[in-house]
Amino acid sequence: MVSLVINGQRISAAPGTTILEAAREAGIEIPHLCYHPAFPPVGTCRLCAVEIEGLPKLEPACSTNVKEGMVVRTESPRVVEARRNVLELLLAEHAMDCPICDKAGECRLQDTYQAYSLAPGVYAEDKTRRGKKIALGGGLLLDRERCVLCTRCVRFLESVTKTSELGVFERGDRSEIGCVEGRLVDNNYSGCLAEICPVGAITDSDFRFKTRAWFLEARETICPLCGRGCAVFLESHPGFPRVPGTAKAYRVRSRRDERVNGHWICNVGRYGYGYLEKSRCRELAGPLAKTLNLKAATDVVAPLAAELRALKYKGRQTRVAVVLSDWLTNEELFLAGAVFRRDLEIGRCHLVGPRDGSPDGMLLTAERSPNRAGAKALGFNTEETTLEALARDTDLLIVFGPFLQDRFRPADIASAWAGVKTKVLFTPRDEGLGAAFDLVVPTVWPAEKDGSFTNCQGLIRSFSPALAPPPSAVPEWRLLTALGRAVGLNPSFYIPFRSAGDVRRAMP
Amino acid sequence: MNREDELFLTRDFGLDHLHRLETYVSRGGYRAAAKALKTMTPDAVLEEVKAANLRGRGGAGFPAGIKWGFVPRGTDALRYLCVNADEGEPGTFKDRFLMSHNPHLLLEGAILASYAVGIRTAYVYIRGEYESIARRLETAVSEARASGWLGDHIAGTGFGLEVFVHRGAGAYICGEETALLESLEGKRGHPRLKPPFPASIGLFRCPTVINNVETLCHIPGIIRHGAEAFLKRGLPRDGGTRIFSVSGAVARPGCYELPTGSSLRELIYERAGGVRDGRKLKAVIPGGLSAPMLTENEIDVRMDGDSLVEAGSMLGSGAVIVIDDETPMTLVLEKITKFYAHESCGQCTPCRVGTAWMARIAARLRAGRRRNGDVDTLHRLASGIKGRTLCPMGDAAALPVLALVAKFRDELERSS
Repeated sequence: MVSLVINGQRISAAPGTTILEAAREAGIEIPHLCYHPAFPPVGTCRLCAVEIEGLPKLEPACSTNVKEGMVVRTESPRVVEARRNVLELLLAEHAMDCPICDKAGECRLQDTYQAYSLAPGVYAEDKTRRGKKIALGGGLLLDRERCVLCTRCVRFLESVTKTSELGVFERGDRSEIGCVEGRLVDNNYSGCLAEICPVGAITDSDFRFKTRAWFLEARETICPLCGRGCAVFLESHPGFPRVPGTAKAYRVRSRRDERVNGHWICNVGRYGYGYLEKSRCRELAGPLAKTLNLKAATDVVAPLAAELRALKYKGRQTRVAVVLSDWLTNEELFLAGAVFRRDLEIGRCHLVGPRDGSPDGMLLTAERSPNRAGAKALGFNTEETTLEALARDTDLLIVFGPFLQDRFRPADIASAWAGVKTKVLFTPRDEGLGAAFDLVVPTVWPAEKDGSFTNCQGLIRSFSPALAPPPSAVPEWRLLTALGRAVGLNPSFYIPFRSAGDVRRAMP
Repeated sequence: MNREDELFLTRDFGLDHLHRLETYVSRGGYRAAAKALKTMTPDAVLEEVKAANLRGRGGAGFPAGIKWGFVPRGTDALRYLCVNADEGEPGTFKDRFLMSHNPHLLLEGAILASYAVGIRTAYVYIRGEYESIARRLETAVSEARASGWLGDHIAGTGFGLEVFVHRGAGAYICGEETALLESLEGKRGHPRLKPPFPASIGLFRCPTVINNVETLCHIPGIIRHGAEAFLKRGLPRDGGTRIFSVSGAVARPGCYELPTGSSLRELIYERAGGVRDGRKLKAVIPGGLSAPMLTENEIDVRMDGDSLVEAGSMLGSGAVIVIDDETPMTLVLEKITKFYAHESCGQCTPCRVGTAWMARIAARLRAGRRRNGDVDTLHRLASGIKGRTLCPMGDAAALPVLALVAKFRDELERSS
């Protein structure tokens, strides 16, 4: 380790670390625009220049490695003056249309100006007019009046996707980002460009003009849209108190996880968040709800438990079939195993998830479920099943998840299952599948609950709710815990489970 | 001065067909290469050049021998020589003079440098506008190949060298050594972050020596006549001659080869015939456009690196631009700032925006639309560029403006 002093604070860092990274680890943030930890430094924005004792010039912190005994100052008058100077230059040619810029509130240039300068502009020349809505492909728009030429976008496409659709053209203050040979950005990671753009030069039409960054609450979660399970932030608007239904997810951003996704997420995960709202199952439904006068989702537990217990006592548990999904958390699958397989000794527990897609060779996997590896590890059969097999000699059919519809048409489901006496569906989404069931119980998506997934690499990662579910929806682990308790074959086992974490601790 | 002195690069420039191999050889050409390859070890060549303390003629003035010494030794790893023939510094036209009159001198210098450093491939990066000179160089390369001065087994020894001539596409920045490397690799000519320096990671990530044309042209003389003779011709620590490109308001503009340390006044008034049309000298840019200008009473200075630094300027590429008393300084300022704004690569903020901003102010001053505080803003902008950019071009753009503002502030503030 190398020992050095930054702003009077003695710190140690691994040899080969840059001053910027060493400072960051010690909690000292050095402002920068072009530097991004995923790429080798280019040292061009000059915002990160710091003073190093014994050196005549300021040196870029992003590209200067730490040395034993180095004394660095990141807030000295000289440094701050240089930083202000760079800010003044950047802002001289900047559009200054922050009031209509999506990036406002999370813009590195704006934040740095606010923290270090706040000096009035003295640029008295005419600003150069540049293109303000240039379509780059992938729903991205380029505003050249806002661009600071950090070239993060160019470097991303060069080194991460290796598609190199963007380049820098012309030189000097005529330099501009543009598509190479007119080819638009077209890859499954294009959404990362708007995210790594430190200013509002590249904006994403998926988010453009929809809300303001400062309204958003960013919560950590895991993307459930494939087996990779990329770490993400789900950003939502908590809603206006007097306008019901305004709470809404607006954006998914990548969250750094070196073990899984590094800094990036794919477009499937970034733009796929529409599933959270689409055909959302919000209330208890189905003819049985009326017959039994059930009001809340949890009211389902008692009659269902009674039915299951009765079948078990008569030795007719063979007439029950359960369909689970690999969108359920490890905790839920564990509970389902305990209730249905261990306690009730139901043999027919199948797993039905969404159809596989094609992998992209980077992060996106073929399976479009977050927990297939976890389901396999818990001993669930992931082989495909048929509607007929599920209906044969079945009196009670319990289905978790909406994914049967990805594989079968609702009409076929209804006709194949016409002979099944009772059919119960637990799902957060109902696109018509519910019509084939006697009872439809609203549940929650992974982003709205506690739990853990095992990703395609075998990593088990837990998560907490990032979003409030519809008021009547209940997480599956809670329903399964209650069901296990109510079935009464092994009630004390379920009593300690007050949270998904409790379940996790009880798992082998 | 003895025009027959063999240490003068331009000694034979009066001869017809000096650019042909036979003529060059008849005047003693390739004898230094033969001597080195047959009787000296590479280390001995390197030591001789180190002893001569040959300062680079491209602008920075770094000793060539020391530069060569930075290349890792004792390995067979691939390494390259790049001849910087981009000659983009305004006012500089000595390399074209050398290459068009005597291309073989450059090739012989390249052979010696390559032999000393263990290089087997050299590139001449020549500015795009020098099309006919590039052709002349290519002819010289094929002549040299045909007679065994290039290719495998040069002069019957085990040493071989290939030389390729590569034309640039007209960017000033490609004269900056790392931008030159990028350009040679087929990329945008953007300077690289240093370190690593080209001597360790250069062209195609291999150790690379980059020398100016004039620098290499001095090597044959040093090898033939020894470091001592070289150092006698010039100053004790800054030997040899220099070719000064004199332009601007002088009666006889052109290239003048003088021993390092000659007087600037003598160069202007005796060699270049003094200020044209009986006008008076107002200022002199002594080392290419980026060198801070000197006023009339500052020109009693010796033309060597150290003396000019002492005088607050720099020797740079040895290009002397004379400005007469009828030239308004707003015009000079406009020319300078416009050039750097046009040629900034645009990579780093201070240079990209700063040069463009300065050029806009200068254009207004020139057009008589001065605003209060303009000159202070110029000074502040130039100070914000100086020493704060990724490559030396920032300083190149800032220093002349700082000098002009310091020395001609009154005139600028009187404009409009």
